[in-house]
This record gives sequence, C-alpha cells and structure tokens, in this order.
Amino acid sequence: MTKLYLLLIGCLLSVAGLQAQKSYVTRNGQISFVALNDDDVSAINNEVASRITSNGNITFSLLIKSFFFQYAEMQDHFNTDYLQSNTYPRSDFKGTITNIQTVNFSKNGIYPVTVQGNLTLHGVTKLITVPGTIEVLGNKIIAKAKFTLVLSDFNIHAERVAKKVAIQFNCTYQ
Amino acid sequence: MKKTLKYFLILILFVALVAAGFVVYVYNKPHRNVAKEKAVTLTAEQLYQAFKDNEQLANQKYLDKAIELTGRIAQITTNQQGQTVIDFNTADSTVTINCTFKSKPALNLKMGDSVHFKGICTGYIPDMNVVMNNGVLVK
Repeated sequence: MTKLYLLLIGCLLSVAGLQAQKSYVTRNGQISFVALNDDDVSAINNEVASRITSNGNITFSLLIKSFFFQYAEMQDHFNTDYLQSNTYPRSDFKGTITNIQTVNFSKNGIYPVTVQGNLTLHGVTKLITVPGTIEVLGNKIIAKAKFTLVLSDFNIHAERVAKKVAIQFNCTYQ
Repeated sequence: MKKTLKYFLILILFVALVAAGFVVYVYNKPHRNVAKEKAVTLTAEQLYQAFKDNEQLANQKYLDKAIELTGRIAQITTNQQGQTVIDFNTADSTVTINCTFKSKPALNLKMGDSVHFKGICTGYIPDMNVVMNNGVLVK
C-alpha cells in the first residue's frame, strides 16, 4: 500500500514537473553580423525563429535570404557567390544552456550563461560553445550573445571580402 | 608623339569614368521594389501546404519570388527594429506565414481580418513559419 502511495506521489510530481517546464518562443528574433576587417560588410536578420525552455534547451533557425544589407549589390553577392542560399536556404542551431540551474526564470535579472550546441550553416555542422546572457524581465526573456565565426570552418569562401565575422545574437522571447 | 599622349590620356579618362560609374552603381543599386514586381498568386494555406509537403520543391518554386497572398490575420506585432510584422493563419494552428512589412500598413488592421498583400518569400522554418518580408498591401 505504501508503495502504491509513493508511486502515485511520484506520478503527480512528474506531471507537476512537466507543467513547470516553460517554453519561450520568438518568430522575430534578431541576428546581425559584421566582417571583422570591414565595417561596411554587415547585415541584419529580424526573422529569426527561436525557442528556449526553462530546462535549458535552446534552438534557433534563420533563413539566409532574410539577411538585409545596406547595399543591395552586396546582398546579391552574399546570397549567390558566398552562401549559395538557393542550395542552403536555412541555418539551424540546436543546443543546451550548460549552466541553466543558475537562471531563475521567476526572478528579474541578467544571468550569464554558456551555450553549447551544433550549428548548421552552408551545409556544414559544427559544435560551438559561446558565452551569453539571459535577462528575465517579467514574463519576457531576452537572450544575447556575441561570438566570432571563421567562415572557412563552414566551407564559405569569401576571402576577398572577409575571413571572420562577428555575430551578434539578440532575441526577445515571450 | 603628341598624338599618342593625347590618346593615352583619353583612354585613362575613359577607364576612370567606367570605374567611377561601376562604384556608383554598386553603392546605389536599389533594393527590390516588390510593389512593381509581377507576383505568383496564392492563399496563405496553399503556400504553407507546399512547404509542408515538399520543402525542396517549394524552395525551387517560391524562394526569393514575389508572392501575392490572401490570408487571415492571426497576430500583429512589431519586430525589434520597430517594423510591423503580421502572422497569417495556416491550416496548422501552430504554424503561420510570418510577413514583415516594408512600412506600417495604412489600414487599421486587426486580428481575424482577411488581407491581400505582396511580399518576398525567404523560406520555411519547420513547425514555426514560412517567412516573407518587404510586405505591402495590395488593393
């Protein structure tokens, strides 16, 4: 009988646990980049879809054709010559926040985090680890990160324009 | 001798003009104006269904194309840059057509309205949305 009670309590707790896990979503997050050697080579994407769960999973997806450059000609070269966006239209990231236990989703504040996961870009998948922050603001959260990508790691050959780009991740979730 | 020099100078001037023209062209080439482009006409449901059925085929057909859609508004928001974004319903309640508008639509739109608009399709994010931008209303 005691066993049965324990089992029942266990079941109830796990259901409660499932409900407690919250999911934060955006369809219009922001990712921008700038070439390390040339400020003019920069673009912004305001159509990043991303999801963060309170147990530490993070995913994002973006479309290469959604990057907006100030110069239309640059945008054409980026899509056709360097990223081949007809063949590889999307980039995906799937990872975890390794220190999620330090983030208190019910208390406002800015929490430093480390994110690790697989980034697929231009048909190449690579494990990356980046530092960032999660800001809890009422029922919203804002995730930010800055990191550098080496283009040749993803088989992107744009040496004439840029070898490395600084990526800025800035997404507000609800 | 003098004649050769003259031709040489004219040639240099010509090359410089071409180079300058090229630079001006590169820096001033305008972005696409969807309002003036000929578009493929579809409904929001049809566009999503095409991507859901076969993403590769739909990419070939619709990626980077001007598309004229009719859709029902699920949500109106602004993105982090302050641009108006409208999500349109599809047959799947969790998936939308997500269109960022070029400028704030003049009409006073609200949830549930049926809207006729045009934009550029940039692709599909499974379980989330088909993405469009450069949206403009069509009368």
